[in-house]
Amino acid sequence: MSRVLLIIPAYNEEANILKTYKSIIDYNKKNKETYDVIVINDGSKDNTEKILCDNNIPHICLIHNLGIGGAVQTGYKYAFEHGYDVAVQFDGDGQHDVRYVKKIISPIIKGQADMVIGSRFIEDIDTFKSSFTRRIGIKIISIFMKFTSGFKIVDTTSGFRACSKKIISEFSLSYPCEYPEPITTAEVLKKGYVVSEVSVEMNEREGGVSSIRAWKSVYYMLNVCLALLSVKIRRYKKCR
Amino acid sequence: MSLNLVITLIVVSILLILFTTHFLKEGKIPVKYSLLWYAFALIIFLVGIFPQIFTFIYKKLGFEVMSNMIIGIFIGLLIILNMALCIMIAEQKKKTIMLIQELSTLKSKENKKF
Repeated sequence: MSRVLLIIPAYNEEANILKTYKSIIDYNKKNKETYDVIVINDGSKDNTEKILCDNNIPHICLIHNLGIGGAVQTGYKYAFEHGYDVAVQFDGDGQHDVRYVKKIISPIIKGQADMVIGSRFIEDIDTFKSSFTRRIGIKIISIFMKFTSGFKIVDTTSGFRACSKKIISEFSLSYPCEYPEPITTAEVLKKGYVVSEVSVEMNEREGGVSSIRAWKSVYYMLNVCLALLSVKIRRYKKCR
Repeated sequence: MSLNLVITLIVVSILLILFTTHFLKEGKIPVKYSLLWYAFALIIFLVGIFPQIFTFIYKKLGFEVMSNMIIGIFIGLLIILNMALCIMIAEQKKKTIMLIQELSTLKSKENKKF
């Protein structure tokens, strides 16, 4: 049986973190699953650390805020050191639904993919799909992704993703600090790994603040597109 | 080149040598970085003392006056230095992130947080 780890990066998530953790534990009990959890407290300034300690939630407390990339990579390092077969990035703000973890990890367990992205856009499910302008941004990034890697990825910025043991090992060694989702996807594709997308539903944030704020969206998109072009010109060692 | 510019260049080069030596003595910059600043000082000094070496170059490079070429050279050198510093900062950032991750993991393990 594959060992699965859910990596939950958390920055000032006092409002949601306990609820998110409990939803996973309840799911495990109801469905006889054994998903492990590690929360990476990315130097939160609120009561996130206290909540994690009081409720005995397994976590790593970063001594300084590293941003989403540094926090998630800490989780991959933990997964690598503890020999997990699959690692799933899972948001601590209540956006991701634990019921979809099984769907996301399934292609990896069957050996059909090395990385699976939980996509909001590949099937027309009537749930939260983020704002119109952000969807246009995601579409433009998707075009750049196709140009960079030759593959079409619809939901390029989705943080709900699962990785195989090989990818865990890659990410534990190198993981971008900024704009990690689209860049890692492009890098993984360029290295010759198989990336697939499965349809998932996502909820709207229940509290806290998204790492991509509205006024920063255009700047974010420009940077991501430039970063993807840099992936295009860089040389990577092929995995197979 | 005017006498005033010659004096200015020599004074600047001497000041640069004095500052670099001072920081080196205080242990604020390592020897390998101080060499770069000594090289800068030497170039400024050479331009001041032997301007004729550069007089035949500046017109060929398209500069109207010698002083423009001097400024151009230094802007070029500063751009190179800036890029080198950018690369250095990126490398230091990677190392700092790795240290924070490793230290935090060890600390959390020690405190039995996982």
